[in-house]
Formats: sequence, C-alpha cells, structure tokens
Amino acid sequence: METRGRKSDWITHEVIAHFLLSAVEEMGVTLVRAAYSPNIKERRDCSTAIFDAGGETVALAAHIPIHLGSMLGLVREVLARFPLETLRPGDMFLANDPFGGGGSHLNDLSLVAPVFWEGAGVAFVANIAHHSDVGGRVPGSESCDATSIYQEGLRIPPVRMVAERAIDGNLLALLQANSRVPDERVGDLRAQVAANLAGERRIEELLRRYGAALVGESMRAILEYTDRRTRAAIRGIPNGTYRHDDAMDDDGIGVSPVPVGAIVTVGDESIHVDLSPCAPQTAGAKNASITATLATVYYVMKAVLDPELPPNAGYYRAVTVDAPRGSVMNAQPPAAVGARIISCQKLAEVLLGAFAQAVPERVIAESHGVSLGVFSGERPGTRDLFVDYEAFGGGAGARATKDGLDGIMVHATNTSNLPIEVFESEYPLMIDRYELYPDSGGPGRFRGGLGIRRDVRLLTDADFTGFVTSFRRVPVGRDGGRPGKPGRYVLIRGGREVVYDSSTIAGQRLRKGDTISLRTAGGGGYGVPEARARELLEADLDEGRVTPEGARRDYTHDAGQRQGGQT
Amino acid sequence: MSYRIGVDVGGTFTDCVMEETTSGRRWVHKIPSTPGSPEKAIIAGIRALLGLAEAKAAAVGFVGHGSTVATNALIERKGARTAVVTTRGFRDLLELGRQRRPSLYDLQADKPAPLARRRHRWEVAERLRADGSVERPLDDECVTDVLGALAAEGIEAVAVCFLHSYANPAHEREVAERIRRALPGVFVTASSDLVQEFREYERLTTAVVNASLGPRTGRYLTALESGLVEEGLSCAPFILHSNGGLMTLSQADRAPVNMLASGPSAGVVGATALARAAGDPDSISLDMGGTSTDVCLIQAGRPSVVSQREIEGYPVKCATVDVHSVGAGGGSIAWLDSGGALRIGPQSAGAVPGPACYGQGGDRPTVTDANLVLGRLDSSRRLADTIRIDPDRAEHAIRMHIAEPKGIAVEEAALGIAALVETHLVRAMRLISVERGYDPRAFTLVAFGGAGPMHAVPVAWALAMPRVMIPPYPGLLCAEGVLATEMRIDVSHTQRSLLGEIGAGALKAEFQALFEAARARLTASGVDVGGLQARWMADVRYHGQNYEITVDVPEGPTSTDIKRDLRAAFDREHRRLYGYANLERDLEIVTSRVGVTVPVGAARGGRLGERASSRRVEPVSRRRMIWENGTETCPVYRRADMKAGAEITGPAVVEQMDATTVLPPGSRARTDSFGNLIVEPE
Repeated sequence: METRGRKSDWITHEVIAHFLLSAVEEMGVTLVRAAYSPNIKERRDCSTAIFDAGGETVALAAHIPIHLGSMLGLVREVLARFPLETLRPGDMFLANDPFGGGGSHLNDLSLVAPVFWEGAGVAFVANIAHHSDVGGRVPGSESCDATSIYQEGLRIPPVRMVAERAIDGNLLALLQANSRVPDERVGDLRAQVAANLAGERRIEELLRRYGAALVGESMRAILEYTDRRTRAAIRGIPNGTYRHDDAMDDDGIGVSPVPVGAIVTVGDESIHVDLSPCAPQTAGAKNASITATLATVYYVMKAVLDPELPPNAGYYRAVTVDAPRGSVMNAQPPAAVGARIISCQKLAEVLLGAFAQAVPERVIAESHGVSLGVFSGERPGTRDLFVDYEAFGGGAGARATKDGLDGIMVHATNTSNLPIEVFESEYPLMIDRYELYPDSGGPGRFRGGLGIRRDVRLLTDADFTGFVTSFRRVPVGRDGGRPGKPGRYVLIRGGREVVYDSSTIAGQRLRKGDTISLRTAGGGGYGVPEARARELLEADLDEGRVTPEGARRDYTHDAGQRQGGQT
Repeated sequence: MSYRIGVDVGGTFTDCVMEETTSGRRWVHKIPSTPGSPEKAIIAGIRALLGLAEAKAAAVGFVGHGSTVATNALIERKGARTAVVTTRGFRDLLELGRQRRPSLYDLQADKPAPLARRRHRWEVAERLRADGSVERPLDDECVTDVLGALAAEGIEAVAVCFLHSYANPAHEREVAERIRRALPGVFVTASSDLVQEFREYERLTTAVVNASLGPRTGRYLTALESGLVEEGLSCAPFILHSNGGLMTLSQADRAPVNMLASGPSAGVVGATALARAAGDPDSISLDMGGTSTDVCLIQAGRPSVVSQREIEGYPVKCATVDVHSVGAGGGSIAWLDSGGALRIGPQSAGAVPGPACYGQGGDRPTVTDANLVLGRLDSSRRLADTIRIDPDRAEHAIRMHIAEPKGIAVEEAALGIAALVETHLVRAMRLISVERGYDPRAFTLVAFGGAGPMHAVPVAWALAMPRVMIPPYPGLLCAEGVLATEMRIDVSHTQRSLLGEIGAGALKAEFQALFEAARARLTASGVDVGGLQARWMADVRYHGQNYEITVDVPEGPTSTDIKRDLRAAFDREHRRLYGYANLERDLEIVTSRVGVTVPVGAARGGRLGERASSRRVEPVSRRRMIWENGTETCPVYRRADMKAGAEITGPAVVEQMDATTVLPPGSRARTDSFGNLIVEPE
C-alpha cells in the first residue's frame, strides 16, 4: 500500500468543530429538558458554551444573544479567584455578578466546569440560565426603578458549588432562602449540573479519540477560521465613520431621555465601536455592564456581517469596543442593571442605525424593543407564592425589500411565550386577548411589523411589575419610512381603561377582576408610504392588519366599504 | 395461493414488493413515480407484479403503502383554502406562535406563511377554564355568523380550536358539527379529535395542517381506492401511519396529518423487522438518498416514537416515528465558504442536473463525485442504461471548486468531502442516541437507501458501533417495511393529577377509557381486533417541573400496583436521561397514552438466503481505491456472489444493482443466513 501522512489536519479541524457544536447543543438540550421552571423549560432563557483552556469561547449555543456576554468574562473571573492549579475534576463554579462574575444581571446564574485530561485542565464547559427569582426588592428581581444592585437580589461572585462531583448543600440552602420560589432554584441548578456533565463527557470522548494536542490545535484553528471569515465580511462594508445617536425613554425613575449613541469606524478588516456618546450611568436599573454591551455589539456584528458566522470568540478579534467606564453602557457598581435588556436593545438599534449609513439594504428599520410583565401573589386559598415572569414580542422593523415581522422577539433577546393553557393552569390569571395590534406597524413602502395586544385578567389580588419600551421614542423608519406606534400598559378596571403614563410600573397592587392590557410597539417602516404597492396595501386591509381609517390616515388611501374579514 | 403487496411511493421511483404468503417467495418491481396522481404508479406497479407472478388480483389479501402525498402537499403549499374558528381574542395565535423569530441573527429570515390567512380566521364568543369548566357558554349567534362567512368566502377546510378543549371538547364538537351540517362539502377538523393534550399553539397548528391537507389527500385516497377496485383487488388497502403502523384509508381520510411521515417511517419499520429477525432488537436505521438522510433509533424491536414534531416549520402533535433528517445525501454539493471551510449541502444537485460526473450540466462537485474519484463507485457503470458516468468531470469539478482554491490534491479534497459528509451523519446519529441517553455501542447500524451502504461503515466506527447490517436489497427496504408492520393507533389525554393524591383505581380507569376509545376506533373502521396488543405510557414530571418525560407503564390497568410501577419507571428514566432522580418529590401525571397494535395478515420475518458452498468469494474485478492511509488496488465483489456464509475483508467494495457497499481497511463482511451483509471491525 502506498502510504500517506496523517489525514489532512484541515479535515480533522472540521470534524472537531462539528463535534464541539454538537456537544454544546447537547448541553442545551439536556438543560432545557431537565429544568424545572417554565422560564428555562418553555421559554428557553438559557445558553451553553465550551471554552478552550485560556477561556476563549470555541463553541456556543446561545438561545438568546445577550448571553454571549455573560460567557465572555466568565472563565477569566473564575480563574481569578480559583487558580487553575487549585481546580479538581468534578468541580463546578457558580456566579451571577455582573461586576466580577461574568454575568449581565443577577437572574442569570452561570455554572462553569473545568474539563481535565491526563491531569491537566484542557477546556471549560459552562451554561447560563435565567432564574425567575433571586430575591431582591420585587418578585422576579428585575425592576426598572431599582437604584442599586443590592435591590436586585443575591449577588454571587464565582463560588465553588460542586467540589469533586459533590454539590454543596449549604450553598443550595442559601440560594433557596433568598428566592421567592425556592424549589425551582434547586431543580434548575441540578439541570445546570447535568448539562455540564453532558458537555464534559463529550469533550472527554473527543480527547480520547484525538488527544489533547490535536484538539487544542483544532480549537485554535476554529478561532482563526472564524477570524478570517469575519475579516472577509468586513471587507464587504465601505470604510468610513458612521455615527448614530438616539436615547432611551427614561432611566426607569423619572429622568428622560437617556442618550445612547455610537461612532462606528469601519476599517479594511476591523471595526471599532466608540460608545462615548452614551450618557453616564443612571440611577435606575437600565444600565448595562460591559459584558452585556459586548454581547450586544457582537450580536449586531453577526447580523450585519454574516449571520452564519460560527458562534465563537474568533469573531470578536476584528472588533474593538470602547465604552467609557461609568457610562450607561459600562456601568460600575453599585449600579442597578436588572433591566439591562432595555439599554442593550437600544444599543442594537443605534449600531444598526450607524450601519444603515454604510449598508442600508442589510439593516432593518427600528423595532419595538422588549416588554416585560411580572405578576405575583398568593394562590387563592393558600399561602403559596407564585411569580409569573414573561417578556413579550412586538413589531420588528421593516426590511429594505419586505415588511417587518409581526409580533416577534428581536435583537438581544429571543425568549418564547408561555403557552396560554400552561399559564392558566399554573397561575390564578386568565388571558382574554392575545392578538396582533392593527395599524401599529410603521407605514412605509414596506410596513413595520405589528405589535401585540395581550390582556391578562386577575382571578385574585396580586402585584404587578412591568415595563414597555418605545414608550415616547417610537421605533423610527428608514429611508422615509414612518415610525411604529408606541408601547403602552393599560389598566382596565370596571370597564374603564386607564393608560399608564410611564414606561415602568413597579410593584403595583391590583385587585381581583382587574385587567392589565399590554400593547407593544410596532416596527418602523422602510421607504415612503406613498411608494407602497397598491396590492400590498390592499392585502393589509383585506387581512385587517391595517384598518380603513389607518389606510386613509397613513397612506391617504380610500378603502371604501372594504370588509377585512372579521373585525 | 395468496399474496401480500407492499409499496413505497418515493419522489422519483415507486417501489413494489409482492410476497406469496406460504412460500415467502418475493417479486419486486420499480417504476417511475407519477407525482400528479401517485395512485397511477401504484396501480401500474401492482399490475406488473401480478404479471410477473402470473397471479390473479383476487388472490391479493393485503395491499399497504407508504406515501409522501401529504408531505409534498405541505412542502409545495398546495393545501386547501383553510379557515380557523377559535376562541374570541385569539385569532392570531397561529401567527404569534411562540413569538420567537425564525433566525437568531438573519434579519431577512421569514416565518413560514400561516396555512390560514388572517382574513380566514374567525373568533366566536366562548371560553373554558383550565379544568374544563365553562367560563362563557358558546354563543349560538356568533356561530351562525361564522357559518355564513365560511360559505361566502368559499372555504374548503376548517380547523376548530378552542382554548382548553383537551379538558372539555364539547364546544369544539358542537361547532364542528354545525359546520358539517351547514356546509357538507367542507372538510372539518376539531383540534380535540386529533389531540387531547394541552399547549394550544401546537394543537392548533396540528388541526390547521390536518384541515389544509384534508381535501387533497381525500381526493387521492378516493382515486386510489377506486383504482384498486377496478384492478380487481378486493382487499381493503392500508396506508402507513407516521407512527410506523398501518391505518385504513378511512382513518387517513379523517386525519391526514398522520400521513406526514408515512414515507420515512416505511424504511424504519423495514429496518426494524430486518434487525429483529436477525436477532438485533437494538439498532439505528440510516436511510441515505440523493438529497437527505433519515436516521432513527430502534430499541427493543420498536422504533422510537415521539408525540410531536416540526414539519416544514409547523409543529405537529401526532405519534411519529422519531426520524431525524439531515440535508446530506449522495447528490449534496460540496463548497468552500467565505472563510475557506469545506461545506456539504444542504443544496443538492438532485436528479437533474445531477452530480458533475453525470455530464448533464451539473458542474459543482457532489458527494457522488468524490466517491467516484476515490474509486468507491464504478466509473464504467451506466445509470438507467442511458447516463454514462464520466470520472474526468467529477475530478474537474473537485479540482476547480475545492482542491485548487485550497491548494491541495484532488484526492485529498475527495477524502475531505467523504469525511465531512460522514461527520454530518455521525452528528445526526448522535442526536438520536447519545443525546437521548442511549449508548450507540450497544446498537447495530442498519444502512440502506441508494447511498447508505457507501458511508455506513466509517460512520458506525466513529460511534464505536460494533456492527453494520446491509439488507439484501438496500433500495427496496421501504416497500418491504410495509409488509412487515401492523396496525397501530395511538390515543392520549391530558388530565393533570398528582401521584400522591390520585387513587390507583382512578389511574387505571383513565388508561382503560383510552384503551376502549382506541378499540372502538379500530372496530369502527371494520378491523378484527383479535390479537390486539396495548402499550401503556404516561407523560410524567416531578411536581413543579415544567416538561414531561414519556415512560412506559408496563401493565397499565392490569398492574397490581400501578402507582409503584409508574414511580419506578419515571425515576429510572429521569436518572437515565439526566443523571439524577428526586425520590422525595411527588410526581405529576400530565398526559396518559395508549398505543394499540393489531397484526394485519401474517407478518413474516426475514427469509433464509441461499447458503454458500465455501466462505471464499472471488472478486469480479479490482480497481484503484483511495483511503485515508493511502492508495491501494482493491477487490470488487458482486453482491449476488455473497451467499449466506461468505466472508470477505476490506478494503473492498460490494456492488449490486441498487447500491454499493464500501468496506474500508480494517473491516470484514459476511453474509448472514437472511442474506444481510454484516460488517464488523477486523
């Protein structure tokens, strides 16, 4: 037989890259299946990752993009407290601190485990899951009007939760004592342990087959490949400096607006993001730690440059971010950060706004942001507490060649809703409407996506905490497209509607029979409404997505006696 | 003489197998499919088989088939003009779904178009609570208005889905009945008739998919039935259910959603029967065709079945053989992405233009081209007597698109393509085994389809599987599967209760009621229920957990301690899947399930193959083949020469009309007494 050298390494690297992705997905599947809380189980507010020995992400299964950030500093923070030589096989470290624990808000509990081979630590596996309550001032732990992180629940620096495969019962007891729904915490943490064990087993299998040297080499090659591909994508964007300024509605307490802006400089093969136009950190909880900010920047890069970029640290290399310390996008302790998703969604819009100047066809108009509702109270006839925590979709911005998506999660988040039939069997609450909100999409040649209307009726007295985005600063259109409708919370009591005059509602006591009606914002339009094709407008009327009045007002179209199905 | 006929209707070919029931003798026939009216190829195929065997149509006692009619209608969006009637306030449920976007990063991605337009989704005033009690009675006037609107809009099919109908189907049934009476030509589905389980969006999409398919599949089933009668066949024909069992045409007519995985499940039941007969109850099936590959885990002689799947972006709740599909097949195109990495598929060259080596205009390299360059495929072969294979074109395509841009030799690029496609298959198999807590080292790989035997052995070795089984006719296993299966009906009901609180009697009664419902459904479709067997299952979770695991309740209502059995089964399964059990925590039973099976005619196992006079087999030729460790001139065997007991060692290939089996270095193969080729590490 003619002999040939070892099978070409580039193929081995491909095979190992696939293996790692499959391993990280398997971790995610394990986590979702074994978890207890609806938040992880049904809404999939969790992510999993594999790191090389140096803590660089080599494979990631992010179910929601903002988790990219929590994974960034995680291993580094663990190693800062627990040097590599003190780690043992079977150890796992828990953390949630946005300031020194790799987290981005306290609800996200990360669990990281070293993987050993022949006595040496060669990789790390980790997962992150949103726990529905980690204590603090309000049920669900997240409130826009928190004024320091100490109001947002238990702050956990990296601590050893599992020592050589034995779970620390004292630590679990401490966590349970600090949550309004303690049983969920233990079930979810056990699922997090199971996910890491699954990842560890897969990596050991890989090491058994290829050895540590080749696996390490492959991990480096995976990162280099992604870096190459990222730089190739950057070459497709015109060089230049693009600045976009916007603002959040308010800081969650009263000060408004809160400026968020970015100066994006695109070079031949690199991108620099300067966030100096952002306001100083605020008194409320809409601040972002640097990890959340980086996650958002990376999300936008992937969406604009190449949505197929492999999810690993290789694509971070061509991108640098400068966020002034103490600004709203790089908050310092003891800033409250619970509602950091609001600033991150705004940052995503700002970055897309900057890229719209360079590659308008790739960028969508502004979207609704995100809205949140938390109901809590006692189940009737018992002293059992319940906490229903849920985030809601709305209208996505229109695209250069088509309408925006209706009633959907955008950008840094992508959690599922809870099925109504599950919701109503878990909580003393009833949903009376869950539907698209006609006329909410920004008019344009291509229409912004519709927001949603969702009415929840209380079957018992309960507390309500929530926020909407795009309350004052509505999602703007591009290229002459008009803005979408704003987001609102409305209280319906005794048949009367009272519109909340704030984007934020914190711990309001409601009565049995009250209805909280959420109307999320619509996306911005793309192109001038006058240019909308007649058949698209007529289809919207026919489908009831635009009403005859809306068509007259927004498109100067007289729909006559048209009947849009059932109204 | 009495005959049984199995048919598999594929996208390109319709395969037919006929067996004489006493001797076990078989006839096979393959003809081009007739996608416009698939029954034509089925009837033509049966006529040809009867001709081959010189048999009379009246002597046929069984006809069953697997069909992609429903799947194709869904893929091509050729469903009926469909309406939804739902609870007031919820007409957008179909679009809102779970509110997640179709792609995390791709801003241009769209959701699959809703199968019922917003204009055609009507609301009626009515409301049930989670326990099934009535919050607001059904408003008659509202229903009357909707009836008028349905007629005015020319609706052909209606899905009726109300909140909490799993707990109380009365409102749905009443509305469905009123529509049927008022609009006799309209196909009507009540969601609770298909699924009595909670989670409204998935139940709704199931009903909508079913309704949109109904009129079209109805026409097909009617045409097939009358065609068979005209042909002189007197037996009641069957169609393969997504769960791998058979159903009558009238069952399929009411619930066409159950036909969606009819095609892929045929191969799985074929593999199940084959492996079980050969003494391998635990196996994984690998069906690799031109554009995709289906894999499925088979345990204890039963294919794994799931109660929900996503098909074409729509979640569908119906018992379905748990086939996982990847877009990698023989025709998949190999390409380099912008970072210079090799990728395979999901684009496929299909049958036209086909791989570059067909010389029919395809100039992009495919998996088949790589196999040709590596010497694993015979370059002197003709396809269907007309297409001459051209190895130069294969080499040229790989050189231009892969080797030169990467600066490597053509052979190395071809090895890379083969290795990468195998990686995709390994990943798919890992997903259905390791990720579900099964160790593939305890499973046999059953490989079939045109390309399966080509890549099966390296794939099995990568998962440390001990054995690969290649059936006698890898291209006909789906049609043979139809002959090997039985009737199966699955019923389920969501009724949540705590194990600590429910009495054993109530639990047994729940199972018994489901069993009676399943038996009644069989009897109603004229099936003889002698020989009926039941499998009892429940979806259970720890109290407070939010997702269920389906576990077997071995003896169901006849168990002497059903609560203990259920507890033990769940803790065991939870431990197997997640590595721990929570013994102190109460269990919540969410959904009870019963699957009943009835044999249809005599399902035979494998047939004994002809014995070889000696182990030695002479190769028919030798050719140069390229392997990872070097190039070597290797023997080529003819499958027909591989009689029972024959043994060969790799590197080698075994050729037959419908497939080529590749034996890499370090493998050996023998033919078992059923004619299967068994490949093991040397």
